[in-house]
Amino acid sequence: MSIAPAPHPMSPRLTGLPLALRLALRDFRGGFSGFWIFLACLTLGLAAITGVGSVSRSLADGLMQKGRIILGGDLSFELVQREASAQELNFLAAQGRLSQIALMRAMARRADGQAALVEIKAVDAAYPAQGTLSLAPAQKLASVLAERDGVYGVAADPTLTARLDFHQGEEFKIGEQRFELRAILLSEPDKLAGAIGFGPRVLMSQSALRATGLLQPGALVKWLYRLSLLPGEQVDSVAAAARAAFPAAGFEIRTWKNVSPQFSRDLERFSQFLTLVGLSSLLIGGVGVANAVAGFVERKRETIATLKALGAPGGFVFMVMLAEVLAMAGIAMAAGVALGAALPFALEAAFGALIPFPLASSIFPREIAAGLLYGALTALAFSLAPLGRAHDVPVSALFRDEVAPAHVRPRRRYVIMLLAAACCLVLSVVMLAADRWLALIYLAAAIGGFVLLRAAAALIMAAARKFPHARHIELRLAIGNLHRPGALTPSILVSLGLGLALIVALAMIDGNLHHAFDRPRSEETPSYFFLGVASAEEQDFRSFLARHEPGAKLELVPMLRGRFVTIKGRPVDTLKVKDDVAWALEGDRGITFSATIPPGSTLAAGDWWHADYSGPPLVSLESEVADGLGLKPGDDITVNVLGRNITARVANLRKVDWRNLGINFVLVFSPNSFAGAPYSDLVTLTLATEAGPDAALVRDVAKAFPNVVSLRVKDALDAVKDIIDKLALAVRGAASIALFAATLVLGGALAAAQRSRLYDVVVLKTLGATRRRLVAAFLCEFGLIGMAAALFGVLVGGAAALAVVRSVMKLDFVWLWPQALAAAGAAFLAAVLLGLLGTWRILGQKPARYLRNL
Amino acid sequence: MDEAAIILDDVDLSLGRGAARVHILKQISITIKRGAAIGLTGPSGSGKSTLLMAMAGLERPDSGRIEIDATDLKALDEDALARFRGARIGIVFQSFHLIPTMTALENVAIPLELAGIEAAFARAAAELSAVGLEGRLGHYPAELSGGEQQRVALARALAPNPAILLADEPTGNLDEEAGAGVIDVIFALKRARGTTLVLVTHDAALAARCDRVIALRSGRIETADQPLVAEILVKGACR
Repeated sequence: MSIAPAPHPMSPRLTGLPLALRLALRDFRGGFSGFWIFLACLTLGLAAITGVGSVSRSLADGLMQKGRIILGGDLSFELVQREASAQELNFLAAQGRLSQIALMRAMARRADGQAALVEIKAVDAAYPAQGTLSLAPAQKLASVLAERDGVYGVAADPTLTARLDFHQGEEFKIGEQRFELRAILLSEPDKLAGAIGFGPRVLMSQSALRATGLLQPGALVKWLYRLSLLPGEQVDSVAAAARAAFPAAGFEIRTWKNVSPQFSRDLERFSQFLTLVGLSSLLIGGVGVANAVAGFVERKRETIATLKALGAPGGFVFMVMLAEVLAMAGIAMAAGVALGAALPFALEAAFGALIPFPLASSIFPREIAAGLLYGALTALAFSLAPLGRAHDVPVSALFRDEVAPAHVRPRRRYVIMLLAAACCLVLSVVMLAADRWLALIYLAAAIGGFVLLRAAAALIMAAARKFPHARHIELRLAIGNLHRPGALTPSILVSLGLGLALIVALAMIDGNLHHAFDRPRSEETPSYFFLGVASAEEQDFRSFLARHEPGAKLELVPMLRGRFVTIKGRPVDTLKVKDDVAWALEGDRGITFSATIPPGSTLAAGDWWHADYSGPPLVSLESEVADGLGLKPGDDITVNVLGRNITARVANLRKVDWRNLGINFVLVFSPNSFAGAPYSDLVTLTLATEAGPDAALVRDVAKAFPNVVSLRVKDALDAVKDIIDKLALAVRGAASIALFAATLVLGGALAAAQRSRLYDVVVLKTLGATRRRLVAAFLCEFGLIGMAAALFGVLVGGAAALAVVRSVMKLDFVWLWPQALAAAGAAFLAAVLLGLLGTWRILGQKPARYLRNL
Repeated sequence: MDEAAIILDDVDLSLGRGAARVHILKQISITIKRGAAIGLTGPSGSGKSTLLMAMAGLERPDSGRIEIDATDLKALDEDALARFRGARIGIVFQSFHLIPTMTALENVAIPLELAGIEAAFARAAAELSAVGLEGRLGHYPAELSGGEQQRVALARALAPNPAILLADEPTGNLDEEAGAGVIDVIFALKRARGTTLVLVTHDAALAARCDRVIALRSGRIETADQPLVAEILVKGACR
């Protein structure tokens, strides 16, 4: 037996990293058991944050890459209510290939009198200048739209046949012209450039549109002039040259780089919301990681103690445990980042046909790198505290059972490492977020939430400690469990509280989305809008409606379209205004004139003009828009209407109640401002009862006034609601990842609770405690923690929902208490039932088997 | 071989905090010569295991001095203590405490790997051979009998060739035959290597195989069968 003596005990190689890695690797032979929640939480969190980043980038890139196709060219010049002059056309044609499109709403009438609102797109021979059009049956567009025996052909959206019962080959009239439905329009490349459509798209030739007789002076038609530039020409210089050449034209100029500022803003808001969901998933995943690592260290106490008994210093043991956690984190990072990176592809494959945006699916190295960074930092920030405790696991545990598990604070070096990791995580989240300010607010709120929950846990434990001796043993056991050394109160309260807050927030956001668009119709809400009633036929139309719907409330308002040119003398494209009012400066706005203050408005500042005022033009502005644009009474604005720049002085500001959907305009001019200009009336009709879907009124109006467009308000609201429903579905889909992570964390926390209760349960059962009593004690304990968590969830979740609904979605927020309480209650019950299920299983075990191992 | 391997001088040790604090070891003074085999006996709660832990540097005394293999334990910080233990002290536990995810060979190799020994596995194999387990190198603890597991634990404790072997009821979880086999191996190896052995046991027959027996009661040394002989100096019992 010749065994060589050991080297000097203070060997510097002892704490070597390779050995720590080797030991960590050996430990994995026991399988990943106990690591599943860790893996799932981190994978989900990373999949969510990487997926969110990748989807946002895909959308933004899609918009950028397909900008020319969506716009139909490199540049688009839009005019409202007037066509470009010959001079303007010559200028544009000289810059490149020009394509011209007209958009307007009209009524399509069948021979049997059935009428439907349609969205006309009248195109020239160059259409589509970019991208491809898809028709069924496949054929040349020119032959579809051609005139045959006085009948023009059209291609129409499938809803015209599906919902409105128009058949292929069927004849119908628009205005005074006969049309034939010759093809179904499966897709149009530039669809996204248009606004929300209230009716099916009908594609026709421009000569067909002219033949309808709808192009009357003052008709609400948009003319789009799309330019594909000559090689070497720059969009910005052409846009600048057009503005300089025709300062009073009233062109709304868009370039392929900025197809739709409104859409970009909506996309940004959606991305912001997705970022919040991603961060929530990461945060909740982090809590799951912390719980899982705490459980891992707890399970490894014997191995840790053995290693220390064999001469391993605490720091080395920490290294072994850290290596195991980081190896697991590596697997989760790879899986999470791969899932997240694949998300745009999966979305495109599964819902490509349903997503109305161009999605440029790709692998985004920046998002992947960010995901990996988040993964490593989250794993570190949330596991260093429990891992640090491994350093001080006492070897004495190998000699005797511990009376009470010592819950020592991690040593200072681990606290410093933890703080460094947490700071790096916060810094990277803020620096890499699309909206840094939002990320910062979110993180501050999340840290506040953590602190609040830990403080609440400390408070509950302190109160339980001071609670007078309870008579019932169940309550006594429950209260004891709340505060005893090693109590799970903090970890369960944090997991449950965050989970409940998330669920309540999502329920409230969902509820508010629906509340905003689902409100019952008030008596003041109009039943119909009628657009394009020519001023000459105003009296006839009035009498017609009075005969047709006696007793209904009728309101006629002149309507023109115009756009801001300057504000206080400064061109609008040089102004920086608040995001919430930027829409007012983009595109054309409805404009009216009135001698008296319009119904539904109240004066907020300034005075209303005299009924027979005849001085220079005056204008009344909606107060919130005026505030956003920095306008007050006495300031000047210039608006382009029908190709004329009209400068008016702001006379007053109005507060408008938009909610009843009555006629109200941001801009109301003094009547003399548009003397002699052609205009049409916008008419609202309010019936005592809701209008039915097949109201004869639409049919009769279409017959008697072919130029007038009828819009049932409910149909319009349904069209908006349809979009909201899709949005809500996307919100729920995205949020379900966070919810799944929250459920996993809760499950993990409850499983840990059960493991720690196993000892008590076995001993208590041996001493004669029945299952009923043990379950009652469990319910008392969880009931108390759950109530605190539910209170936190409702308050913090509600506050989070308020912030998202107001700041991100820009909607009014309503505290929907029943939904919030129901969500919190249901989630809490589900959590307790889940816990009870596991506990019941433990209670069913025979004590002897466990007693031998205790 | 005259010098002392273990010196405990007036050691007091308490555990727990506040009202739960219990004074476990009271004025213990022992000197154990290198190569001796000491049996530590006494009823449950008398402080046997705590005394063993104090010798291993796993519990720090409230007062008094503990010197192991000429090193004052008070002078070592936590990490230095761990390294010291790894090199100079072997411990055998009643519940074996093998690492379940490692083979017998790997379990024995750990202290050697921790000490940075190049041929850790070759030496571990030799140690396992020394305890009669040359055919079980690749087996996991769950594939070994209780007696075999304890032999692996013994091989692991002795692998770094420590000066001192502390054994806490090494046969407590074994049947009589397996227990006897393990004890035979412990004593054979102790003799062959000149290791100092401190053995906690309830078994009078086993204690009798030691050179000397110290009986503890309520944290004090009650009797030493040959007090004040060269190997054992009991101050506390004389006060």
